[in-house]
Amino acid sequence: MIKLNVNGQAREVDVDPATPILWVVRENLEMTGTKFGCGIAQCGACTVHLDGKPVRSCSTPVSAAAGKAITTIEGITGEDGTLHRVQKAWIKAQVPQCGYCQSGQIMAAVALLEKNPRPSDTQIDAAMAGHVCRCGMYNRIRQAIKAAAGQPATETAA
Amino acid sequence: MSRTETDSTGKKGKWTRRAFIGAGVVAGGALVVGVAVRQGNPIDRLGPLLADGKDEQLLNAWVKVDADNIVTAVIPHVEMGQGVYTALAQMLADEMDADWSKVRILEAPADMQYVSDSIGRDFLLPDLEVPALFEPTVAGGILELAQAMGLQFTGGSYSVRATGQRAMRTAGAAAREMLVAAAASEWQVPASEITTADSMFLHAESGKSEPFSKFALAAAEQSLPAKPRLKSPENYRIMGQPKARHDIPEKVDGSAIFGIDAKVPGMKYAAVKAAPVVGATVASMDATTAKTMPGVLQILNMGDFVAVVADGYWQAQQALNSIETTYSKTEGDSLDQDAIFARYARYLDEAGEDDGDMETEQGDAAKGFAEAAIKVEAEYKVPFLAHATMEPMNCTAWVRDGKCDVWSGHQAPVNARQAAADAAGLAFEDVTYHNAYLGGGFGRRSESDNIVMATRIAKATGYPVKMIWSREEDMAQDHYRPSATSRFRGGLDKYGKAVSWSNIHTHLFDPKDAPTVPYYNIASHRIRKVDVPMQLRFGPWRSVDHSQHGFFIESFVDEMAHAAGKDGYEFRRELLAGSERHLKVLDTAAKMSGWGNALPEKHGRGIAFVPSFGSIVAQVAEVDMSGPKPRVKKVYVAADPGFVINPDGFTAQMESAIAYGLTAALYGEITLGDGKVQQSNFHDYPMLRINEMPAVEVALINGDHKHLGGGGEPGLPPIAPAVTNAIFAATGKRIRELPLSRHSFA
Amino acid sequence: MTIVRTLACLYVFMLAACGADPVPGPVEQIIVREPGAAPVAIAAAAVASNPASALIAEGQAAFANCSACHTAQKDGANGAGPNLFGIVGKPAGRVVGFAYSDALKASGISWTAAELDAFITDPSAKIPGTTMVTGAIDDSAKRQAVIAYLESLTAN
Repeated sequence: MIKLNVNGQAREVDVDPATPILWVVRENLEMTGTKFGCGIAQCGACTVHLDGKPVRSCSTPVSAAAGKAITTIEGITGEDGTLHRVQKAWIKAQVPQCGYCQSGQIMAAVALLEKNPRPSDTQIDAAMAGHVCRCGMYNRIRQAIKAAAGQPATETAA
Repeated sequence: MSRTETDSTGKKGKWTRRAFIGAGVVAGGALVVGVAVRQGNPIDRLGPLLADGKDEQLLNAWVKVDADNIVTAVIPHVEMGQGVYTALAQMLADEMDADWSKVRILEAPADMQYVSDSIGRDFLLPDLEVPALFEPTVAGGILELAQAMGLQFTGGSYSVRATGQRAMRTAGAAAREMLVAAAASEWQVPASEITTADSMFLHAESGKSEPFSKFALAAAEQSLPAKPRLKSPENYRIMGQPKARHDIPEKVDGSAIFGIDAKVPGMKYAAVKAAPVVGATVASMDATTAKTMPGVLQILNMGDFVAVVADGYWQAQQALNSIETTYSKTEGDSLDQDAIFARYARYLDEAGEDDGDMETEQGDAAKGFAEAAIKVEAEYKVPFLAHATMEPMNCTAWVRDGKCDVWSGHQAPVNARQAAADAAGLAFEDVTYHNAYLGGGFGRRSESDNIVMATRIAKATGYPVKMIWSREEDMAQDHYRPSATSRFRGGLDKYGKAVSWSNIHTHLFDPKDAPTVPYYNIASHRIRKVDVPMQLRFGPWRSVDHSQHGFFIESFVDEMAHAAGKDGYEFRRELLAGSERHLKVLDTAAKMSGWGNALPEKHGRGIAFVPSFGSIVAQVAEVDMSGPKPRVKKVYVAADPGFVINPDGFTAQMESAIAYGLTAALYGEITLGDGKVQQSNFHDYPMLRINEMPAVEVALINGDHKHLGGGGEPGLPPIAPAVTNAIFAATGKRIRELPLSRHSFA
Repeated sequence: MTIVRTLACLYVFMLAACGADPVPGPVEQIIVREPGAAPVAIAAAAVASNPASALIAEGQAAFANCSACHTAQKDGANGAGPNLFGIVGKPAGRVVGFAYSDALKASGISWTAAELDAFITDPSAKIPGTTMVTGAIDDSAKRQAVIAYLESLTAN
């Protein structure tokens, strides 16, 4: 049995330690907010936090989470249902289209703002370029990050 | 199986199966105005699905009013990011004078009765003027055909312009008229003295006011209005507003359920690999290692694919990866990229001047070309493209006791249900299809290959099985956007005016008018096609044939402009002379972009104009060629879809189509080697990312509120030619083959 | 469009159902575990000793995670990240033609395997101001494999 800390809760799963965190979260813990997009850390849809840092859960074995706190998209919303300011900014800017990539995008944006409360366009690029959005909502993502950071909107990447 | 329902405040409620809203039957004018369920009524058997409590009354198939004065709009389309749930609800709610804050949205179940008759009519009998006397017969006949063809689907940029315009609005208006008739009867006043607003009745003279729910039951007893009056734009209160989308809140907190998120107790997981070369089958399967791997339940050779069923998807995929498979030999084994385009060239050469299938002919284009003062010729090529939806193809199926349940995200739920029935050897009625949000459709999810595969696995194993395709499998087994070659000859007179247009190209799929240019005033046209056998499976890809022909046509127009010594914008202005609506779109795009103003060195502007799916779109791309590869800095879009129901939603669709089309223009290329697709994941099928997304500015034009155009696709066709025309302006280098990554710009 | 394809069936609609032929069952079906049987207990993950060549091969496969931005072949192009052929043992920030961040140029680091490992694990902790993305390879074993692969390129 493997002991995990997921969204602040102690969980135990009976899995092969090589199993990627993505599949443990989705299947053993039945939390489907974290998505599968490519399996080789190229698209970002699977992003979760390990001790607050974004990782690609499709390529990270659950053994790597030992002693660390896993946060998924489900853990970003407050326990009383309050939305994180990033989620609120996402709704205000009407960011999602199909929405499939957005859990990963939001996880990356939340981590970015934790580390860098007023990111430049270059820093936004660096933090978010690993995330593919097939519906192309990149400009809205950028504006929402800026809004969540309390910064004025800019046109596009530097 | 419960469904989640969202209301406009973002709260969620749970529905039990009993509470599913069903649908009614289409009557006169392609619209169901079904009242309460009655004995003998065709929707009778849907009765058990409709009632949600004794005080609720189904007014018609498209709308429901309950005791809390909540109006529920039943949407017969799927939400794949295009905002259709909200836009269609806006159309119904506005005509009904409903309180938008109390409007809820439900997706219609995949039932044969619930078909999008408007679409059936447009496809089967476009532009048909039917005398009122025959309307019911024609509509009834179309309904039967539509039902047989499983026409409950989302695509073709049709949802707002057909279902919304013809059905949702009429349903809302009819519901309102019936409600007002009921209020008039109860209050004993003329209906003309009653006004409605925000789900309330008001009789000004007496000061009486009541919510809709008060007379909803009585309204169901009113007779159906023959032709409900629709609002004109000055009275729109909800249409034309950038209403927030109902489905967005659940897409920011991880609670939105996509096909891949289906949960069934006792569910197992399947990983699959189909034969990489089309037409091949599994010749041998060595599963020695796979049998010993953890979590493996069953290993199946299904003839055309191999499947591993396990306790978890990752375990299934690991085991599948260890299986050695050989495949039968086919003719396609030797096909490679060069061979395919060589084949296209051969077919085009063989068609010569006179053969091939004539699509459109006007005047004598050959003569026009021969006598032209200036002659232009060019050949263009575009590759196969993958859909690469963010959510890989998947399906969950369970076959037991003569019944089948299927879960997926699909653009044509009735088709999916039928495909599952066929695969399970059951009747349509024995299958329940559960639709979910689609993590990208783009045409890919109108196919049912995933449905069939999952159902076959479920039938063979007896388990509820969730089949997930790896990204590699998704890339290898797509129904691709076809590659194509197109050859042009254009003639200009001594004034540099276009006088003749000849084109021959490979394949034509849909829409049939994609290669035609009726909006450009060119005296003679001659457009032909040749059908060439294609190695790969193909299917609709966002904007379908407009994606190839938009590039071909707008590139060639630009070449003609250049040969005439004219600016691309001015040249197109001349060709559109007299078409006010078209000119307004073109002029707006040019003006927005500052066309003609100086640009920094090595920067260029390109313009492209493509009417498609009933909308008119012009784009100007500003490209920076100072680096080793093209950098698209900004795209200006002018779009006229007749009337914009939701400006924010429509703008988002333009941004989306530009990103999707630009990805393809810059990088998109599916190549073949030894008959197999050579690309496998996002490292060799690159994606546009945030750092390469241009700024996008959109101007919306309401050019004709009576004839709506689509939103999902029209933003795509102009982007590639706008970019390549900009590259020409900046560098003098003409791009005739996509993607741009094939070319060196050093 | 689905509609266009089924239109071809339209004319035979009245005569025969448009349905498919009965779909075939499995050609071969291996039942490894009967329905209802309990799963085998998860064995402790065997730590296989990787022969050097297997590690390099694993690293080459894992390099797919990096190839959105980096090439590894000799004289390969720079992309969002610099070409990495021969990078092991070289000073940081020197690949010709790549626009490094000031931070990385000024870092003074030489790319030993250990430095690469630390950098890939958490780039902005190692070199604040770098534009290298986080999370490229979070699995320590995979990182070792990729570094072994990059080292093997130098040797060629």
